[in-house]
Amino acid sequence: MATATPANPPPALSFPRPIFAAVDPHPFLQAHLASKNAPQRANGRAAAEFRTPAVHTGSLTHCNGSAVVRLGNTSVVCGVRAEVLREEDTQGETFASAATESEEREEIERLRLLVPNVELSTGSTPNHIPGNAPSAFAQTLITRLRSILLSTSLLRPSDLRILYTPPSNPDDATADPEPAVKAYWVLYIDVFFISIDGNALDAAWLSILAALRTTVLPHAYWDPELEAILCDDHVATAAKLELRGLPIPSTFAVFEGRGEWDESGEEEEGGNWVLSDPDAFEESVCRERVTLLVDCSDGEKGDVLRKVERCGGGGVGREEMRTLVKRAVERWHEVTKVLAKSEV
Amino acid sequence: MAPEATLSHLHRADGSATYSHNGYCIIGAVNGPVEVMRRDELPEEATIEVNVRPAAGVGSPKERHLEMLLHNTLRGIILTRSIPRTLVQITLQVRSLPEEETSCGVSPSLIILPHLLHTALLALLSASIPLSTILTSTLIAIPANSSPLTSPTAPDLLRAKPIRSAHVFAFSADGKMLLNESDGTFNFEEWDEAAETAEQVCCRDEGGVGLGEGMEVDGQEGGNLDVWLREVVNKKVQWETRWKSAK
Repeated sequence: MATATPANPPPALSFPRPIFAAVDPHPFLQAHLASKNAPQRANGRAAAEFRTPAVHTGSLTHCNGSAVVRLGNTSVVCGVRAEVLREEDTQGETFASAATESEEREEIERLRLLVPNVELSTGSTPNHIPGNAPSAFAQTLITRLRSILLSTSLLRPSDLRILYTPPSNPDDATADPEPAVKAYWVLYIDVFFISIDGNALDAAWLSILAALRTTVLPHAYWDPELEAILCDDHVATAAKLELRGLPIPSTFAVFEGRGEWDESGEEEEGGNWVLSDPDAFEESVCRERVTLLVDCSDGEKGDVLRKVERCGGGGVGREEMRTLVKRAVERWHEVTKVLAKSEV
Repeated sequence: MAPEATLSHLHRADGSATYSHNGYCIIGAVNGPVEVMRRDELPEEATIEVNVRPAAGVGSPKERHLEMLLHNTLRGIILTRSIPRTLVQITLQVRSLPEEETSCGVSPSLIILPHLLHTALLALLSASIPLSTILTSTLIAIPANSSPLTSPTAPDLLRAKPIRSAHVFAFSADGKMLLNESDGTFNFEEWDEAAETAEQVCCRDEGGVGLGEGMEVDGQEGGNLDVWLREVVNKKVQWETRWKSAK
């Protein structure tokens, strides 16, 4: 066959990086991690290195609180919007005064005062097909976020109740009138993913946390003449939410190395690597993930763990969990600084 | 109290199991390996589909989360590479729940998770899907004012309220931790202790493991889930091979 083009050089026995990654992702990552001179992940980070979050709060005008969080190429917007739930719409479930934390949690859960929702924008990730019902991924994420919101008792129902104290009875001045719950604030927490490059939960939770920390609720009161809830226009009377603690999640992916294939036909056990804050490529290769929710706002020595989620394999033993908790605590300090800086 | 299980009682499914424990009753059915839709087909391994149907109503995001947990855990123990380009479909229907389920202070999805895992595993065994290992799972609850409870019933939890933390662990037969969901307020030492207790409940004592024979009975026998599971399978196999011993 005659060709006009000059003869190609003989095909090389190696192929470029992106093709290696696409054709055989597992050995690609293992080659990086097991490298003798400079072991690192394919994205250039060390195994225990997190991405530094960038947090920007208060960017949405029509929300009571909002935040944009960027974690590498994962970017999330979160908006918190408060709506009034009237007492007569609560189906008679009244919680006069929740005393303990578990009663408070029940009040928020039963009345559904917190409504998180996750939306993945078109093109945020190649796995997401637009125009369909929320995918299993989005639904799982919502469930996890909601369970964190409830189980950590982050919000206090006292912040969300709208109380009315009737005027004292002129005949009996000694008896103080009891304040009655006239309405509740319901917080709609919408999380919108602009792009997902792994670790969606950490980014979503950080954005929720940052948004809730800046959420301002107007002063609402019951007007007995109009028999309605009114909100005060004055900014000075509006109040911030008082959050309980500061739980921060850290996600790890466990990469199980495959051993060299030897002649006996049996694979040796390769080593395991625990990668902090995995990106999308690493998540597609690793099967096991560990999420630790840590709150050190009461000091590092106390009960710092709030939640552990791990599934997909058995690569991490109990001793390794100890080091992971340490890594999560370090991460907590790092993220807290970023959050504090974003609110100045 | 040991869980109760009936295997292979649905005749149209490839494998099935009904499991009841602590007031929960779950029916599991497995079909597989069957043909897979082109969209879900994986070239080198089997696709696993888990459907969780609640006792009342249709599935919600909560069920999706449970499905995801089951899927990720079972994917690790099913030998998916030996049956590539096929589908293993696992359907779990919750039949009954204890009355106190929602008021016992622990997230309902945590309490049901060990039962779902056991049902799924029994149904997989009944369908003879190739597995690399078995799994056993349990719930540990740490109340604020008393000692930890191991696989408590819903009324137990209600009595022990308030619960400080609840932990679900699943272990493979060789003692690897396959799944852990913990919730509440706790420190690493408490978690470690809970994990150790769970391991004792789930896995057989190292001393009791005989070479290839599961007949040894030792002191741990009472509440050990591994021993229970082997007994269930043993009974099933004996029933199926009864023609051999018939005279």
